[in-house]
Amino acid sequence: MKRALLLIVMLFAAGAFAGDSVVYPLQRLPLIFSHAKHLARGTTCAACHAAAATSQSAVDNLIPTEAACRACHAIDRADPAKAATPVTACVGCHPGWRADVPVERVFLVPPPLKFPHDQHKQACESCHAVRQVDLATTAQLPSMESCFACHKGGMEERHCGDCHLTKMGGLVETSFDQGNFVPATHGPRFAKDHKEEARAPGSTCNACHDRSECVQCHQGTVKPMDFHQGNYLLVHATDARRGTPDCSACHRYETFCVGCHERSGLGTRGETQFRSDRTDLRFHPVGWSSRGAGPNLHAQEARRNITSCASCHREEDCLTCHSAEPGGVRASPHPAGWRGSSRCKALDRDNRRMCLRCHIAQDELGCDWHH
Amino acid sequence: MRRVCVLAAVVLAASHEAHAYEFWLRAQTIGQAYQLREYRLFGPDLFLGRHLITQTLALRIDDIGDLSAGRRRSRLPDTGLRISWQSYLRVDHDFGDWSSGQVTLPGPIRRDALDAIPELQEWVAQLDLMYGYLQLDGLADDRATIQVGRILADDGWGTTAYDGASARYRIDEVPIAITANAGLRVRAASPLGVASYELDGTSGAGCQEYVEGPTPGSGHWQLIDRNRSITNTRLTSDFEYCPQRDVDQPTVGITLATARTRHFSAELGYRRTWSDTVGLIGPVDRLNFPDKGLYPNDFGQAPATGVNEERLWGRAQGELRAGALRVEPYADARFSILNAVLDRADAGVRVHDGDHVIEPRVEYFFPTFDGDSIFNAFSIEPTTDARLAYSYTPAGPWRGTADAWIRRYAHEDDTTSFAGGFDAGVDRMFGANWRGHLDALWDDGYGGRRIGGSADAAWRAQQDLWLRGRVIVLGVREDSTSSLATRYVTSSAVTSATFQLSDGVGLHAIAETDYDAVHDLQLRVIGVLDLAFYPEQ
Repeated sequence: MKRALLLIVMLFAAGAFAGDSVVYPLQRLPLIFSHAKHLARGTTCAACHAAAATSQSAVDNLIPTEAACRACHAIDRADPAKAATPVTACVGCHPGWRADVPVERVFLVPPPLKFPHDQHKQACESCHAVRQVDLATTAQLPSMESCFACHKGGMEERHCGDCHLTKMGGLVETSFDQGNFVPATHGPRFAKDHKEEARAPGSTCNACHDRSECVQCHQGTVKPMDFHQGNYLLVHATDARRGTPDCSACHRYETFCVGCHERSGLGTRGETQFRSDRTDLRFHPVGWSSRGAGPNLHAQEARRNITSCASCHREEDCLTCHSAEPGGVRASPHPAGWRGSSRCKALDRDNRRMCLRCHIAQDELGCDWHH
Repeated sequence: MRRVCVLAAVVLAASHEAHAYEFWLRAQTIGQAYQLREYRLFGPDLFLGRHLITQTLALRIDDIGDLSAGRRRSRLPDTGLRISWQSYLRVDHDFGDWSSGQVTLPGPIRRDALDAIPELQEWVAQLDLMYGYLQLDGLADDRATIQVGRILADDGWGTTAYDGASARYRIDEVPIAITANAGLRVRAASPLGVASYELDGTSGAGCQEYVEGPTPGSGHWQLIDRNRSITNTRLTSDFEYCPQRDVDQPTVGITLATARTRHFSAELGYRRTWSDTVGLIGPVDRLNFPDKGLYPNDFGQAPATGVNEERLWGRAQGELRAGALRVEPYADARFSILNAVLDRADAGVRVHDGDHVIEPRVEYFFPTFDGDSIFNAFSIEPTTDARLAYSYTPAGPWRGTADAWIRRYAHEDDTTSFAGGFDAGVDRMFGANWRGHLDALWDDGYGGRRIGGSADAAWRAQQDLWLRGRVIVLGVREDSTSSLATRYVTSSAVTSATFQLSDGVGLHAIAETDYDAVHDLQLRVIGVLDLAFYPEQ
């Protein structure tokens, strides 16, 4: 439920799953400009973006001003239609320029990143592929993939904060005015099925999410309503019997399930009106557990999904009949070929305590004994 | 005066430069009130209250000692030693009759519910440290990381924890990282222990020992040490006694994983947990007849130790790109050495084509348990799933998902049975403040049949107020293994409101009402006070 509550807030606030437009917010560039032509003429990057060499922050505005253009373009504000080469007319760079209308300004939102240009000595074009384009847009800003070409450590959780803004405690900041920073992998099914992402070697979930977020859902104390829909208390039996989804991903059968079932009057040790010695008061139908001849329906159920049995019964309930104790029923639960099987040998070798729960006699221990 | 001077001198001598450590704190107070049924065959069901209070505290302290502050100020990559702390503490108690009430046992005997059902301990006076560890990053030229404390561990199919240490070392030349860990597995009996971290299959109650009779082989199983004196306490189970569940479980593990690789990652892991046999649990002849006082048997055949878990697992994931197409194949498998069986496996591929993602997957599952559990011997039939998932996530207001699955149960007699299902959902944003969602569900086969759907609406009513409502209707026909009703229609309505009281403080209120022919009307109310403290950036 706590997870569900977080999701409520997230879904309202997120709006879209657009990580790129959050890191590089949408720009407005009402300009006519060709990087391709300028570079072809031999103009250097530094000629226009001189401040880049000393920039220490991603919030620095490195877009050249008119003063930089004037180095080559003989702009004369008194003569806005002045014809010259290179172009000097206002309309040559400001599309639709009119003297009686204020010039539309460039609008940039700084990326929520830490980036010191001054410490990156590589050629500009190794990160900004602008040689073939006119206006440089967010498409020409470096992708995280290109950063990893040098910063291999960036693939590790610890180093996410080297470039991304972080909150106190070191978690990456994910909430910005332009939207929430949510990876593309977090689609609509993600809250329900994120197993592959979470267990991927080197996964970086905890760069943004505190581990308590995982625990409060997987080992939580409140029913997550987005996962267990309404009235799940009544309908959960179908899922539990099938064994899908895997209840054990969050619940321990022999504490969580048994405790609840016992307290509901469905067990054997709490306060219950179900009685196994009366056919009209049994929880399971007649023939469920037949000593000797009979349908013995529980055997198939137990083999099909023993975990559904474990959600009500303790091992000791099974021992009532299945123990090899002298004088007992001695109903063997083992499948054909158990003795001598690699599974029998492995269990006997690694933990004979389990075998001793049923087999007491010395000559019954091990995997090669015979009646 | 002299004492004051001495105290002042001590304080001055002990003073250090103050460090402004970065820390992050998240506290939640959760109150729940609802009733659950104790089913009665005669007369109406009994309603038992659950009044749960849960307090959680998540804490992160980053860069203890300000070791990396200088590097951050200089805008340098955060290499070098950095020390941090992460923990999550939970206090949990049910004041209601469900856990703190009494039951009437045959006799009649009145007992605390907790005494009759020790499993309820999970909800009574619990103080759980879910995890809490000190982490040292950036050791050995930024190649090594060490964690010490209560550490979470995950082999891909479930989380557990151990009290101990973990060390990771990255070998860049390969590039592989090796992680080794060792400690004591967290059990319910551990200090601030958590039952849900334990291996499943063994119970904390009803533990029995075999006590020999007058002649060899004529003995019988009985509850351990029936003659011990019982002290009545309200917050713990007076009768629970299962010494094997209290012993330490040493755990060691090692993993080899790719490190700093793009488009491919893989991991190979191993974990082993074992425990000593309890052996002598009391003086010889502590019972009313001759016995040796050995657990679990009176012959002493039990080995000195037993393995509780021993697993080997591997997984690999990749990413291939071809134009707009992105293909992510993956495969995971886990082998139980204790059981000598492959107990978990899956393989699939996620294909992204623009806004469309399709994912076929197969899964295999063979239930295995704690090595002390006899369920290991009972579990003999695996299941195999085929699943197909699809999602459509364009930049526009519409989104959709669909899932189909079929599970095959392979029986010992070479027959099979099946279960399968399908569900689909669409989601639409209406402007900036409204969202609507529709879901449909159908499944059938082993276990029963369900068909139904839900409608969900969410609204940001004000800048600091979120409202949400959901209606669910489901028709159910369960396969019958009980004498309870198995065919019914259930409907449910859930409403929630989230109000931001101030920066970092939120109040959530949730109400759920269910109606069905079995239970009539039920109401459940939950309140969450969410306190998150964010020091000024």
